[in-house]
Amino acid sequence: MELKHVNYGYPGSEKLIKDFTATVPNGKILSIIGQNGAGKSTLLKLLMGSVSPDTGTVELDGQLIETLSKRQRAAKIALVTQQHQVYDEMTVKEVVKTGRLPFHSLLATISDDEVRPFLRVVDLADAMNRPLSSLSGGQQQRVWLAAALAQEPQYLFLDEPTTYLDIRYQNELMALIRKLNAEQQLTVVMILHDINQALKVSDQIWLVKSGQLVKAGTADEILNEQLLSNAFELPVKIVNIEKYGPYVIQLTAS
Amino acid sequence: MIKERVAYILICMALIITAIFALMLGTQEFSVVQLWQALMGDRPEILSTVLNFRLPRILAAMVTGGMLASAGAISQAVFRNRLADPTILGVTSAGELFMLIGGMLLPAFNFQKQFFALMGGLFAFALLANRKTLRQPYQLIIVGVALNLTFMALTQLFTKGINVGTSLGFNGITWSSVYVLLITGFVGLVAVLLMAPWANDLKLPDEQLSSVGVPVTAMRLGLLALVVYLSADVTADVGTIPFIGIIVPNVARYFVGHDYQTILPFSMLSGAWLLLVVDTIGRIVVLPSEISAATIMAIIGGPFLIILVQRGGFHGIKTR
Repeated sequence: MELKHVNYGYPGSEKLIKDFTATVPNGKILSIIGQNGAGKSTLLKLLMGSVSPDTGTVELDGQLIETLSKRQRAAKIALVTQQHQVYDEMTVKEVVKTGRLPFHSLLATISDDEVRPFLRVVDLADAMNRPLSSLSGGQQQRVWLAAALAQEPQYLFLDEPTTYLDIRYQNELMALIRKLNAEQQLTVVMILHDINQALKVSDQIWLVKSGQLVKAGTADEILNEQLLSNAFELPVKIVNIEKYGPYVIQLTAS
Repeated sequence: MIKERVAYILICMALIITAIFALMLGTQEFSVVQLWQALMGDRPEILSTVLNFRLPRILAAMVTGGMLASAGAISQAVFRNRLADPTILGVTSAGELFMLIGGMLLPAFNFQKQFFALMGGLFAFALLANRKTLRQPYQLIIVGVALNLTFMALTQLFTKGINVGTSLGFNGITWSSVYVLLITGFVGLVAVLLMAPWANDLKLPDEQLSSVGVPVTAMRLGLLALVVYLSADVTADVGTIPFIGIIVPNVARYFVGHDYQTILPFSMLSGAWLLLVVDTIGRIVVLPSEISAATIMAIIGGPFLIILVQRGGFHGIKTR
């Protein structure tokens, strides 16, 4: 996947994305980090083809993303967002079945057997018939992940997937995503708020500020106090913790 | 699963038993034995009453109840609002108004009533379905109630305040209208069952549906068209009968859960049963006169709606 000289913005306001050129590495975990409003979510939308660039191109396997139909895109890219709203009571299997929609005619009824394997991957096969609302936040997020996996995508996009989870669930989810990446050669693109989380799990990181790519590189290349301080407009310090490696600490005046 | 099955068995049994009672009761009461004799050809006078007066009415009440209940359930899915129903949103009263105006302006043609009721329903939905009302459950209902009252007042204005009633209810319904109802109703109900998965899909936000490649708008419009078709058809043939579309699906959810592929068929059966009960009661309670099903439904429906709102079961459940 490739962004080439992409510009995007609402008419009349400042551009949200400015001359953005970068490549999503195949089969790797990519994290996008930056301040709020830096354009991270917009980048994800551009990559998914849900918005089109004003100028520049977004390519998916050599094809312009806007030339693919919604269904074709859905069979390649799956999205997990930070918070999913449902308007009515849904069972776990109903949620996962929505991930199978790209593979069926619109009026089809999807069988339970078809979604069971995806629930097994996230270790929730037993909860299949339970109402979604009866699960914990972490479990719910795994259900949505199962729904995304049910799309059998090449690309898994996650928009701040850990925001509403406590630390233990965050780690669990990250471990699961790494496992999926390793076992199914899924290309993962995540927006993460937690810099340290991004540094730990990602093969590549895009550091974004005001709609521009500040730097694309590995964790080691991003671990630079000057670089991070500028991007986040906040003094940061990198400390090395024995056995755990480097951590970025954001410094705030007391 | 077991609860569901029991619920289905019970409603089917209730429907059959009620239908038998409805055949027995009326100005002339027949016993089961007499009905059996009539069926065997021994009592032609009873057979004639049953075939010409009671059976068409029973069938009409059943199919109408099924149509209204499913129209309500689908409206609730589309508007993501448990209070949505064509009768309180002004869809049926718009249909009545259009039928009246159409009848005055244009010479009669086949299916004229159905056509104008359909146009009226579409008009009401065009006024209702905008982004704001779709997002805010209360706003939808308030706008709907306002539309309903306006259309009703306009209807009265055109009839100079005399309640001629475009609707006759089930009283004196003939086989010819029952045939129309049965055929159009059957088509509508089959479409409901086929499109039931869409009602489930609409439990998800539009953006999420879009990301799995689903044409959300087309789906929503398709379902709305079906609602208009069902309620316009009923309005044209028997007039407005309120609240079936709210009461039945909400009670159905209690018994069979939240999957529209189960709610819809169950609502059809329960709607058929409820309207048959109501119509039969109305038919026998003040003999030799009768109370219309619409009146009885309004009496039961009002308090039910209040309970539903106060228990907070009116909008979708949000998780997290």
